[in-house]
Order: sequence, then structure tokens, then C-alpha cells
Amino acid sequence: MSIRTLLGLVAILVIGGALSLVLSDYSLRLMNLAVVSAVAVIGLNFAFGYSGLISLGHSAFAGLSAYCVAILTTKLGLSPWVAMPVAIIATALSAALIGYPLLRLKGHYLALATLGFNVSFTIVAINWLDLTGGTNGIAGIPHLSVAGYELSDERSFLWFALISLTLVAAAAAAIHRSRHGRAMIAVRDDEIAAAMAGIDVTGVKVAAFTLAGTCAAIAGCLFATHIRFVAPEDFNYAHSITYLAMLIVGGEGSIAGAIIGAVVLTFLPEWLRVLGDAYLLFFGLMMLVILVILPTGIVGLVRRISLKRRSPGDETTNVPARAGAHS
Amino acid sequence: MADFIQLSINGLALGSVYALAAIGFVIVYSATGVVNFASGQFVMLGTFAGVAMLINGGLPWPVGYVGALAAMALFGALFFLVVYLPLRSSPVVTIIIGTVAVGIALQNAAQLTFGSWPFRLQSPFEGMTIEIAGAVITVHAVAVVVGTGILIGLLWLLLHRTTIGIGMRAVAQDVKAARLMGLRVNGLLAFSWVLAALLAGIAGLMLGPMWFADVNMGDPIALKAFAATIIGGFGSLPGAIAGGLFVGLTEVLGASYLSSAYKDLIAFGAMIAFLLVRPQGIFGERIQDRG
Repeated sequence: MSIRTLLGLVAILVIGGALSLVLSDYSLRLMNLAVVSAVAVIGLNFAFGYSGLISLGHSAFAGLSAYCVAILTTKLGLSPWVAMPVAIIATALSAALIGYPLLRLKGHYLALATLGFNVSFTIVAINWLDLTGGTNGIAGIPHLSVAGYELSDERSFLWFALISLTLVAAAAAAIHRSRHGRAMIAVRDDEIAAAMAGIDVTGVKVAAFTLAGTCAAIAGCLFATHIRFVAPEDFNYAHSITYLAMLIVGGEGSIAGAIIGAVVLTFLPEWLRVLGDAYLLFFGLMMLVILVILPTGIVGLVRRISLKRRSPGDETTNVPARAGAHS
Repeated sequence: MADFIQLSINGLALGSVYALAAIGFVIVYSATGVVNFASGQFVMLGTFAGVAMLINGGLPWPVGYVGALAAMALFGALFFLVVYLPLRSSPVVTIIIGTVAVGIALQNAAQLTFGSWPFRLQSPFEGMTIEIAGAVITVHAVAVVVGTGILIGLLWLLLHRTTIGIGMRAVAQDVKAARLMGLRVNGLLAFSWVLAALLAGIAGLMLGPMWFADVNMGDPIALKAFAATIIGGFGSLPGAIAGGLFVGLTEVLGASYLSSAYKDLIAFGAMIAFLLVRPQGIFGERIQDRG
């Protein structure tokens, strides 16, 4: 593990821990939601950021896992600590099964196929009344407890969520630095060249998609045990688009970008609350402006500024190529 | 049998609306390469342009319809300037997120202007019905199907028999060559957006009397238009028509004969099946460079 990664991981715990002591209960709730989203977006970074697979169905995997936890704990009375690993494994398997046929598609075809998957998930969640409770959702998911201490308030849950985020980020950083991470990036940059170099392109894509699904599943578990209530609209395709937006605003292909994007886009509606009913109007327009003026996200902006300081006039060579361009 | 005829006509009418929305989506995609996720909001704006003219403005329907379509044409030109030009060289994902963001803004703007209470937009043929083989059919449904047929004919003439249309097809095939031939590429691209907005506007005016005019109607329409586009074949106009009619028919017939809860699953299931087995759709996509 490099020093930078280690510093980043410590920064998550220190900044998050410090904020957890000073923020109000309502802001802590938003922080929790941001951290849960960050876990999901780190997952999406495997699929889109590294491998260039546009997924508009990410939220369905979080939903699959959250519903698993909800059903196993409320209907079968299992402990969340048993339900969560089952949910994560089941979701990872479904991601692999769904990914295998779908990942032959590229660009907007893959985007629309995964969108169709997400819409289908929502339709099933709304209509399979016996299992999912329909639009009423499932309430009464038990609190998580750690060593006899119940994580029933926002602050203690945030600590748990921050530790989970740190572990996920550490694992993601390790994969990024490994042979497998380089294989994903090679597939994104040039599929044919990657195949020529002996990389199993389909295998790498399915692996990236499964890793993405696994992170979404972890986020789903955190969501289910934090909110303790799941409903179909928590996992509709609009959330998948939000995850993708978080990744692009933060900076794709970067774990720090995934986390920053998740925090910024979770709090942005709050900061725009002064605008009252019109906040979505400004949110939409602001997103458009960010996309136009910051094509490589917040992390890309920071990188460009620091490169400019180091070697003026040379910043264009180091800006990473955008995945999915012209596809 | 009477039920079946009635349902089929209603399905075709709904399918016509989806087809028009899908055609608008495809025209923009072929000409500019933009996957427009705000296309559902275009149709919603069309319906509410009708609400503004006919209900709020109290205009008689011929004047109101022309006014609504003029407003939509203006909107298309504005979208070209404010959204398309800044995003034109961005990758697919940025354009998807960008158009979604604009869609959110448009929906919120409509809600601020018109409120979240749905409107009932009246048809020029309000309350009129005809009987075919025992089936009672609204004149509005028949008018929508016939009107869509005429529009598609006019669109074909525009694309194949006019200078503008032939220029648009040239731009769709090869922007650089079109520019070298002296075509005013930007003007033609702008015209594609205006045309898409007009078609969406007509779809919205047709849909208003069939559904309630609701500011949240855009997303379901966009999803159906996407399904129609994939089923028919991405980038193909005949495909958009066939796909739209298929989605409309399965929605109405599926709701009656199979399951009203799962009616939408048929269209999306078919869409995913097509993507897996025949991703080029019924009519296939031409290989081309885009601007």
C-alpha cells in the first residue's frame, strides 16, 4: 500500500470522525447517506471508471441486497450479521449472472440495457407484494449491534459506516494497483490491444461488473440497517443516474473522486435549500455547468492545478483519457 | 372481439405517441450522436405548452395548437444553443448525465409554473366516438393514429425530397464531408433539434387527452421511447415507428390480457431480449460517423 493511499484512508477516518463530533443530528444523517453512496460509487468506479462499462442499473444491485437483508431479518428473523453476508454473496452472484450476457454490449446500448434491468427490478419490487410488500416497502429491519452496543443513533452508525467505507476504499485501492486493476484499465482504453496482450476481456469485464455489484451490495446492506426501511423508490433508476453523476462530478477512475462526488452531490440539495421549491431547477442547471466546465471532475481539476504548478504548459499530456468517448 | 379491436386501436394510438417520441429521439441521435435522456421531458413540455395555450390562455384549439408548436420549436432551438453546443464534444456518459440534469431542471420548471396538480387537456374531438364491429372507439384515438401516419409521410418527404432533409441525412452520414460540400452543418444540426422538439410537441398534444397532463409524465415516456428505439433498431426511423407501435400495443393488450401490474415488464423484457439476441433491433443501425 502506498503512502498516499494510507494517508487517504486515514483522512477518511479523521475527517469523518471529526465531523461526527461537531455536526447536528440531521447533518449526521446526510453524512451517513453520503458514506453509503460513496461505497456504492467506489463500486461503480470499477465498472465505469476503470473498465469503461456504462451502468445505469447500479442502484438495482444495492436494492437487491437491501431487500435481501430486509426479507431475511424481518421474515426469517435472522440477525443482520447473518443476513448481510448472504445478501452480498447473492447480489454478487446476480451481478455476475446478469453481467455475463449484458457486457457484450457497449456504450449507450449497455447504458440502456442496464437501465432496463433497473426499471424491471423496480417493477418487480412494486408488484411482488408477498415478498416485497409492494410500494409500502418493508419496515422494522433491526438495528446493527457491535459487541453488545446497538448502533441506534446517527453518530455511532456513522462510525461504523466510515470504517466500512475505509475498508472498501482500501480493497479498491489494492485492486487498482494490482494486475487486475491494470487489466481493467487496459480493457477500457483498447479492447483489441488488451486481448492481444493476453487479457481475457470478457472475464475482466464480468469481474469488474461483479466487483461493482459487490460494493453496491455492501452499500445496500448499510442502507437497510441505517434507514431500517426499504421501498422500491429508494432503488429506482434515478438513483443509478445519481451514482454515475457522483462519479463524474468527483472524477471518474479515482477512488477519492468517487467519495468526493458522493459527498458533494448528497449535500448539494441541502446547500440549495435556500432556493425553496426551485432547488431542483438550479441543481439540474448546476450539474450541466459542472459537466461543461469540469469534464474530468473535481479530482481532475485539482490534478490539473497541481500539474500546472509543477510544469507549466505541460498539463494536457497528463490528463487521463476519458472512457467511453465516441463509443 | 369487440374488446380486442377497441384495445388494439387504443394501443396503436398510444404506440403512435411513443413512435413520435422515439422518432424525435432518433433524429437527434442520427444527426448529432446525442443520446437525449431529456426526450421524455420534451413530450411533457409539449403537453404543457398545450395546457398553457388551451386551458390557461383559453385559445380555440387550431390557434392553441399552432402556438404550442411554435413554442416547442423555439424550445428546440434554445436546447441546441444552451445544452447541445456546450456538450457536443463530450463523451457519451457526460451527455447522458447532462441531458438527465437538464431534464430534472425542465421538470422542476414545469412544476413551478403549472403546479403538481394534473390537468385534463381536452381533445378537439372530445366525447366523440365511432363504432367498428361493435367496438366503441374514441375519435381522438383514430385521429392520433391517422395523424401520426400523415406526419410520418410528411417526414419521409422532408428527409428525401427537400434540400434541408437531404442535407440532414448527409450530416448524419458524415459531418466532415457534409461541411466540405458546403452544407451549413450547424444550421442543419439546429434544425434537427427543432424538428425533434416539434415531434415531441405533437406527441405531447396527442397524449394530453389520453393521460392526465402531469409534470412527472416525462420519465415513463422516455423509458418507453428508449425501449421502442432498441426494439426497432437504434438510429432507424422505420424501427422507431415499429418499436413505438409494439410498445404501445403490448402495454394496452398486456394490461388487459396478461397482468396490469406487469404490463411494463413486457416492453422492457423485450428490449433486453433484443439487446441480447439482436442488438441492432428489427431494422438495424447503419454504421456512420456523427457530429
